[in-house]
Amino acid sequence: MRNAALGVRLLVLVAFAAFFILPVVWLVLAPTKSDGALVTHSPLSFGSFHQVWLAWRHLDAFSDHIYRRWILNSLFYSLSATAITVAVGIPAGYGLALGSFPGRRVVLTLTLVAMIMPSAALVLPIFLELDALHLIGSVFSVILPFSFFPFGVYLAYIYYATSLPKDLLDSARVDGCGEWQTFRRIALPLAKPVVALVFFFSFVADWNNFFLPLTVLADSKQYPIQVGLSDLLSSTPSFNPAQGGGGQSVNIFRPELALATLLAVVPVAVVFLVSQRALVRGMLGGAVKQ
Amino acid sequence: MARVAFEGVTKVYGDGTRAVDALDLEIADGEFMVLVGPSGCGKTTALRMVAGLEEITDGVVRIGDRVVNDLSPKSRDIAMVFQSYALYPHLSVYDNIGFALKIKRTPKSEIERRVGEAARTLDLEALLKRKPRALSGGQRQRVAMGRAIVREPAAFLMDEPLSNLDAKLRVQMRADIKKLQSDLGVTTIYVTHDQVEAMTMGHRVAVMRKGKLQQAAAPQELYDNPANVFVGGFIGSPAMNMLEARIERRDGALAAVLGEAAVPLDDETLVRRPALAAYEGRDVVLGIRPEDLDDASLTNGDGLPRLSGRVEIREALGSEMLVHFTVAARQAMTDEVRELAEDVGDDRMLEQYMTGTQAAVATLVGRFAPRTRVLEGEAVEVSIDRRALHFFDPGTGLAIA
Amino acid sequence: MSSSALTGEHSEAARTRGLRVPRGLAFVLPYLPFLVVFGIAPTIYALDLAFTNVSGGWVGLHNFVRTYHDYRFVPAFRHILLYTTVWLAALVVLVVGLVLLLHGRVGRTSSTFRFLYYIPGALAGAASVLVWLFMLDPVVSPGSFLLHHVFGAHIFAQSIAPSHLPYVFAMIAFWTGAGGWIVVMYGALNTIPPDLEEAARIDGAGPFTIALRLKLPLIRKWIAYMVILSFATGTQLFVEPQLVNQASLGLVPDTWSANQLAYQLAFRYADFNAAAAIAADLLLIGLVAATVIVAWTGLFRVED
Repeated sequence: MRNAALGVRLLVLVAFAAFFILPVVWLVLAPTKSDGALVTHSPLSFGSFHQVWLAWRHLDAFSDHIYRRWILNSLFYSLSATAITVAVGIPAGYGLALGSFPGRRVVLTLTLVAMIMPSAALVLPIFLELDALHLIGSVFSVILPFSFFPFGVYLAYIYYATSLPKDLLDSARVDGCGEWQTFRRIALPLAKPVVALVFFFSFVADWNNFFLPLTVLADSKQYPIQVGLSDLLSSTPSFNPAQGGGGQSVNIFRPELALATLLAVVPVAVVFLVSQRALVRGMLGGAVKQ
Repeated sequence: MARVAFEGVTKVYGDGTRAVDALDLEIADGEFMVLVGPSGCGKTTALRMVAGLEEITDGVVRIGDRVVNDLSPKSRDIAMVFQSYALYPHLSVYDNIGFALKIKRTPKSEIERRVGEAARTLDLEALLKRKPRALSGGQRQRVAMGRAIVREPAAFLMDEPLSNLDAKLRVQMRADIKKLQSDLGVTTIYVTHDQVEAMTMGHRVAVMRKGKLQQAAAPQELYDNPANVFVGGFIGSPAMNMLEARIERRDGALAAVLGEAAVPLDDETLVRRPALAAYEGRDVVLGIRPEDLDDASLTNGDGLPRLSGRVEIREALGSEMLVHFTVAARQAMTDEVRELAEDVGDDRMLEQYMTGTQAAVATLVGRFAPRTRVLEGEAVEVSIDRRALHFFDPGTGLAIA
Repeated sequence: MSSSALTGEHSEAARTRGLRVPRGLAFVLPYLPFLVVFGIAPTIYALDLAFTNVSGGWVGLHNFVRTYHDYRFVPAFRHILLYTTVWLAALVVLVVGLVLLLHGRVGRTSSTFRFLYYIPGALAGAASVLVWLFMLDPVVSPGSFLLHHVFGAHIFAQSIAPSHLPYVFAMIAFWTGAGGWIVVMYGALNTIPPDLEEAARIDGAGPFTIALRLKLPLIRKWIAYMVILSFATGTQLFVEPQLVNQASLGLVPDTWSANQLAYQLAFRYADFNAAAAIAADLLLIGLVAATVIVAWTGLFRVED
């Protein structure tokens, strides 16, 4: 009876594993086949590396190497915005957790509310705001809103409020540190896991953001990769053979699209896998008391 | 090196609690002063006000001759050892000890010299490269000490530095700290809740209760002449027995009457406590230390006053026998006695106090000679060393002197 | 206390004192402009636009009423509410179910499964939709068997038939989001002291009972977080229907979701006031969800 239960459990877990993984496996294998092969051969078969190279050539040729620009744009936006997020957010979390000034609770509440409220609802007002400031069309219209990341501030706040023994800061003050030195020499070095966490979440959120860049950027050369992919999608006859591609002869078929998607995911996947350990430790860090 | 002075220092929190109330205390240059008292008595708050980690609501704290009320901790020239040691986890032992010097931009060679010296004094040389998590409790404690001594400050402030160590280690470290302080001669303020620690380490001990200073004196003085019921019951273990008694004239001489027993007061007592005469016909709190009680059959009729009682429990310590016995007398019930019972966890006494019922019998503890033959459940005659009777006013709790 | 002597000393001390800045404020200052410009100000601006007309005059609820009567409004909100409901149901049932299954005594294989479930999280955004556009195309998908025989779809257009869409989107959202929540809940389950489980086992509880009566109640809080957070994000759906609109060449309208409608009103019709009214509707939903979390679940409790 026990074995039957274990068997069922395993079956369910494996079934879901297939659900989660098979599409990814398909995606990795798709660029190795030609468009025709994708239809005729088994979905999980491996084609050839040569095919991948061909797919890349087609993809790169699209609209004058715009794909590369898109990837570089994403890297630029995400890294710049994340740099600002970390530089601004970690001290803010510190100040909110360990400081005492009038309005501290207000700022904290506003941050919490902003954090839980999805940003999509604010995109249009932000667009209008940026328009009033004449920033539409510049990279700042993407980077600056991206840099507002209340979740990062919240993570830092939680960390400093719960995991940093107050005695350490008192000791630093007695040892001669002023407020800034206390932060720089004691609070910041001890927050490495949180910095990694905030970096990760901010980078991924920025990389995956679609609505904001779509709204504030007009020139497709400035698009980040997510918006670029949608552009690609509308140029390809892949999903509807009746589509002519708008006069531009593009060799963007399914393998190219799959490759474009795959490459768009690689940076995030790398950051993802590399930060695994820091992530899990960081997420559970609050729960584990010393 | 400097003196530290509290002048009318008060700390009131936002919700109105008075953590420290008009504290007046002077610690001389090079003195080892212990602040002791039950939790919540304000001793740690007082210490933190000297450090600059708590705002001073009223009054003045001086280090040397300077008023330091508005100075930040780093400008006060003090070093502090925390109960949790507060070692910087990301720095090595060497960097931990040398941290303050680095902040002050002391030249590297100078840091090396001083850290080396401190490490030698505290036997930490082999551990300099390690991080705190690789150290034992005792080693961490020594690093915390090293961090303090390397600064050569005007005063050391120590907040229960030994309470996280196990008993044996604590005894060892007590002696080490005492010797260290004596060698260095630095003014030290040491906070603890353990009265044994206080008595063994301090030049003087300041007993605090509910934010107020009860008495500050050398250990022996506190023991011999407690200023009030609280000090009397706090210092000494097992605690002083507190009984209700009435001063009456018996056979022409004054005696303390408890229940059926009458303890005559001899001339020496009356000379030492002249105010006692004014209490004729009135109630007092009579305090007798366990060490001043013994098995009467062993003291062989030295004419010592006696109490009749019944043995409840015996505890053999080897060097003496602790005997808990009941007598037909009433336990003293004052605020101070209740707080002491709370501190120690004496539920029975607390229950009596809460319900307002005093048992007609009181339980006393005596330190009998080890060769005593008393048995549990049996009657016993207990002799009292009447030179060591303590008297307190039941209303104010102050010693009657 | 002799006041004159003390005031003299106090002022001496005052001279050595520097400027007293409230502690911690300096650290928070650089963040405040961002909070205001990209958090508070847009909210106020959106509300302002929602209640005024093109020339800035106050029009009360006019914008709200007129957008409500737009023929696309009700379907759009109906779509997102249906989508959100399906997604939340899937999250609660499947995430919780999977977590409880994983938290048995399976050991190292459990962490392997958790890792596998987590991987799609890296594909959030447009990428995940693209992958699923392929998965839903019976011509190339590895799940073509399922598509043919279970869902009766033989060509792509059938897969994305309008009646299927809320479920399709819910599945995509589940695919990308479940792994992360599974990790979080698993971590929450790990904080249960092993003594509790052992005591239950000694008391005769089998693994099923333990899961249901011991573990499930203890992660109730996290389930609540998950539901409320997902509810707020779900109603803001944009990327998925937008991409499907492009892939289907307009077969699926570009105003399928409320956010899309707002976008079109703003950029196709330049009717910012109407767009703001819809944004305000969505903001309100988000705000209610946010307040419920903050107030009810005590995210503030760290404050002690």
